[in-house]
Order: sequence, then C-alpha cells, then structure tokens
Amino acid sequence: MDNLTLLMEGFANALTLQNLLFALIGVLLGTAVGVLPGIGPAMTVALLLPLTYALDVTGSLIMFAGIYYGGMYGGSTTSILLNTPGESSSVVTALEGNKMAKAGRGAQALATAAIGSFVAGTIATAALVFVAPFIVSIAISLGAPSYFAMMMFAFIAVSTVLGTSRIRGLSSLFIGLAIGLVGMDATTGQPRMTFGQPLLAGGIDVVVIAVALFAVGEALWIAAHLRHGKPATIPVGVPWMGKDDWKRSWKPWLRGTAIGFPFGAIPAGGAEIPTFLSYVVEKKLSRHPEEFGKGAIEGVAGPEAANNASAAGTLVPLLTLGLPTTATAAVMIAAFNQYGIHPGPLLFKTEPVLVWTLIASLFIGNTLLLALNLPLAPFWAKLLRIPRPYLYAGILFFAVLGAYAAGLQALNIVILLLIGALGYVARRYGFPVLPIIVGAILGPEMERQLRRSLQISAGDPAALVGEPLAVVMYSAIVIFLVVPPLVRLVRRRWVRRPDVPAGEETKPENADTPDSLVR
Amino acid sequence: MTAPRTLMRGRSELGVAALLGVLALVVAVDAAGIRHTAVNAGVMGPQVVPTVISAGLGACALALTVNVLRGGHGHPEEGEDIDLTTGAHWPTLLGLAGLILAAALTMDALGFVITSGLLFYGSTLLLGSRHYVWGLLIGAALAVATFYGFVLGLGIPLPAGLLTGIL
Repeated sequence: MDNLTLLMEGFANALTLQNLLFALIGVLLGTAVGVLPGIGPAMTVALLLPLTYALDVTGSLIMFAGIYYGGMYGGSTTSILLNTPGESSSVVTALEGNKMAKAGRGAQALATAAIGSFVAGTIATAALVFVAPFIVSIAISLGAPSYFAMMMFAFIAVSTVLGTSRIRGLSSLFIGLAIGLVGMDATTGQPRMTFGQPLLAGGIDVVVIAVALFAVGEALWIAAHLRHGKPATIPVGVPWMGKDDWKRSWKPWLRGTAIGFPFGAIPAGGAEIPTFLSYVVEKKLSRHPEEFGKGAIEGVAGPEAANNASAAGTLVPLLTLGLPTTATAAVMIAAFNQYGIHPGPLLFKTEPVLVWTLIASLFIGNTLLLALNLPLAPFWAKLLRIPRPYLYAGILFFAVLGAYAAGLQALNIVILLLIGALGYVARRYGFPVLPIIVGAILGPEMERQLRRSLQISAGDPAALVGEPLAVVMYSAIVIFLVVPPLVRLVRRRWVRRPDVPAGEETKPENADTPDSLVR
Repeated sequence: MTAPRTLMRGRSELGVAALLGVLALVVAVDAAGIRHTAVNAGVMGPQVVPTVISAGLGACALALTVNVLRGGHGHPEEGEDIDLTTGAHWPTLLGLAGLILAAALTMDALGFVITSGLLFYGSTLLLGSRHYVWGLLIGAALAVATFYGFVLGLGIPLPAGLLTGIL
C-alpha cells in the first residue's frame, strides 16, 4: 500500500478524541517536566515511563510522541532562560539564547526556538515518512550478520565518537553490556548473573535502568554539589517576533533542518554534532557575525532547528532498525519494549497501523506544541523558580515510584539505588551515561543476532562478514577507531614545527583532552 | 614515605578502574559457572558472550588504570544547580541513599503513601529545606495523590500497607 495512504490512516487513528487527549497530555507533561531545571529530555521520558504501564499501546505511544517533542521544547526553554542545558544537545542553544534573554530579547529567543522547532520537526517528520519505508525495504532483506554488524557499529559510535574519552566511553559500554546480561539466557533458558535470585531471572527492567541512570544518578550528583542560594531566572512575556527577526530566522531554520536530519538518521547520531555544526554555519553566513556571542537570533534559530530535526531523524534508525542512538531514543525503546514491541523492519509489516499512527501523532504533537507553548511560555518560566529541595526530592520520589511500579517489587528500588550510584560515579568521573543504557538495552539483542548468525552458518565465523552491509559497517568501525589517533599523530607532527616552543609537544598527549576528538 | 600518598592524590578514579576489574571478575566467575547442557545450545553456548564482556571489562580496567596514572582524568558533569568549587557533600549524598534504601525496605510493610511521603520529606530536609511543615504537607499530598492516581486511574495496585482500610 502507498505510504501516504497509510499515513492518512494513521492520522484518522490519531485524530480520535481520546488519542488527541493523549497527545495533549503528553505535550503538556513533557514540556512541564522538561522545563524543570536539571531535567533533560531523557530524564523526562524516563520519569514518565510508568504512565505506560496501564495505557493501551497506541495511546501510550501517542502520549510518548508528545512527551518526546515536549521534553525537548521544555529543555530549550530552560537553556534560554536559565543557561542550564539539560542535555548536551541544547548547550549550543544556551550560547546565544541566554545572551538574548539577558539583553531583554528572551521573548524573541523563545519564539524563534518554538517556531523553528515546529518547522524543523514538521519537515523532518515528513522526511521520516519517505525515508523510513525505503530503509525498511532494504532492511527486511538483511540477515542476522548485518544486524550484528550494525549493533557493533552503534556500540562503537556511541562510546567513542561522542564524548571526550574513548577509554571511558568503552568502559561505560561494557558496564551496560554486563547489566544487560542479567536474566535468563534467551536461547537456552540458563540463568546468568542472577546470583540465585529468582526475581532477577526476567532481567532488570529497562525502566528501572533508565530511571536509575538518568533520574537518580543525576539527582544524587546535583544533591552532592547543590548550589545554595537562588539562581537568577529571567522573567519573560509571551514570545513574539518582529519582521526583522522572521527575516533573520527562516533561513537558519531550513539550514538547521537540513543539517540535523541526516545526522540524526545515521546510527552514529546524536544532536551534539549537528547543533554545533549549524551554529558554526550560521556564524559564517550571518550578516551580523559581530552579534554572535552577544545574542544573535540566528544562533538560536539554526541549532534549535537542527536539534529538533535530528530528534526526528533519530526515529529513523529507532523505528526501522531498532537502534537507539541518543539517550532519549534509548528510553523510548524501553517504552516500546514494555509492550513486547521490538522496533525493527518487521514492525512496519506486523504493526503498520501502530507505526503510522505514531508518525501521524508526531505531526500532531508538534502542532500542539506550537499552539500551546507560545501563550504558555510565561507560565513555564515560572516553573524555573521551583525551590531546589522540592525539585530534587520530587525527582527521587517519582524515580522510586517508577521503579517500584515496574513489577511491584521492592527489590527494584534496591537495584534503582545501585544503578543510580553507578550513574553518580559516571557523572563524577566524566564517564558517558549513553553507552551504559545503549549497552544494557541492545546487548541481549546483539547476542541473539550473533548466535543466530553462527547457527545458520553452523559455526563458521566467516558468515559474520558474509553480507555486504556487514563489511561496510566493520570498515566504518575500523575508520572510527583508527582515524582519530591517526589525526592526533599527524597533528603532533605538525605541532613539532620549529615555531612552537620546545617542551610543549613533548607532553604526552592524552586521549582525554576534550579537543582531541570531535570538537 | 609520603611518595605513595602524593602519587595517589587526585587519583580516586583508580577506584573506578578497580570497580571495573571487580565487575570483570564477577562476570567471569558467573560465566564459568554456567552449566553446559548442550541440549539446545546450538553452536554457541550461553557462556561465550559473558566471557567476551568480562574480558572487555578487564581490558578497560587496565587501560583506565594506565590512563589515570599517566594523568588522564574525566570531566565532572556541570550544570546550573551544580557547584563544583567544593567537594561532594557526603552527608547529603549518603543520607539520600539511605532514604532510598529505607524506602525499599519499608515499602511493602508501611505502604506506598507513608514510605514515599517520608522519602520526599526527608529528601527536602537533607537538601537544605527549612520549611518543616510545608515539606511534610507537600510530601503527604503528593503521596496520596499519586496513590489514588495509580490505583484508580492507572489500575496499578500500589500497597496501602498500614493505611489499609483508611485509603
């Protein structure tokens, strides 16, 4: 059947009164929680996951589409008004956005962020409609070796490309994989890492892992270093833009979308690189480059659009291949798994109604966001002044609730605390959290594909490179692992020119200096 | 005499390396203890992947040790509410961890409302709130509201505990 017909069917489903209500609740909750300082989109989705326990599949996924976009919109509001990026992807927005707000142009910054998010989200979701079925048509013919290779690629990408230290990224990944081992082996039914505890036979609930890492870990980390005294917030009116602001915004929106979507769509994704790239591009192309660093509207419009477009792009590998590449996407997978739904190419065949209703509700959620958030912005800004003890006590309250409700087992709260402590240690020593959750979620799936590959080939390991895509993926992994050290080596050679003071270059360059990788 | 101490200063991250090492051992021991039934194990048994993960953890532990000893260090996460100029405030941290553990132990006996309400109240106090009455009231209201929301709204039977019959 034609994709557009399916999409129209999706709209027909999503536009029932009940489902519209779910979308509305999702958007409101997502924004409200996302606006709260210290709560990024991933924590927003993680904290609201328990709501999916009781709703039906369609309703809860529609709600989550709203929470997904709402959480991101809320996050950008926080970074503009408070200079507190909840997630690495909104760091760039804070650069110019907070400067604008301080200069009394907060309303315009919020407006260009909101409208830019809408434009980018809508275009990128439309792109998703066309790209996803195409990828599904390819993916459906892929065998286990290709899936295994793609997962290896995703593992290496999230742990070595993003972040600043590859040792720390890989350590996080292996910790995540170890967490993923807990439970009964899917093939033989043998218990692994359960320590004789029958309650662990089913594995650790992903919701518990997500809430522990993102909510408890973060709350404990902030609690240990809580800044006392009131943080300065900037009061803001209803967002609006003048003619000049529109003129300066629309091109950055489109460029940001064009940059963000492809970066989100490749399974090495993340919004860090595209938002940063968009910022640099806008700075280069702007007619007012002198305003950058002092509150240039292009510097908000472009990266915000890139952020949202890449978020929609992330849904491509998420829905078509089952590969989460951002923290938020990893938590979304947990929401799917709650219903025993495993995203992947088969999902489009077995649950077309569900998938297309979800995509339709992305469009709806996006529109609702724009309609609600422009007038509600002053109210959201008030949420920023919530007293910090209540805020973080509330996060712990809902985290414990979420973990306990995931099976009504008190043991889950103990696991929540343990993995939360792990999240604390990760933040303390700069270990990225994303590889932990991706490893824990994708690990069992990775093992399944590996064993299936070898089963089919009767144990011949050559089968692992028997599909063209697998070869491409392994080549990409080699490039990822080899090129950055090579670049460093060349750069060190370059630095060893005579015009550099002696002694500078003899310092053992550490893999962990922030500029040695992506930046 | 002071030499080892200077060497260790600022190297608390070695503790993380040790943690990785311990985890590697735990996974390895667990993998070794998996019974070989071979009935439907196929060509690759359930112990292969854990062994590989254990090896990876061990390798990371070693690499991290070398990295830290050579002066490498990660960057603590920053944020608007985070003040990194002082060290971690351990009483708050341990207090909160203790509260969560206490919640785990009392949830089934005392019930959701009492346990979670006290968890919230205790957390606000540990986090520096001095609104002794307000904190308690908000905690109680939050706990009762979520209890009814989950039991009646979502159909998830949270335990009433001591308050069975009252709620």
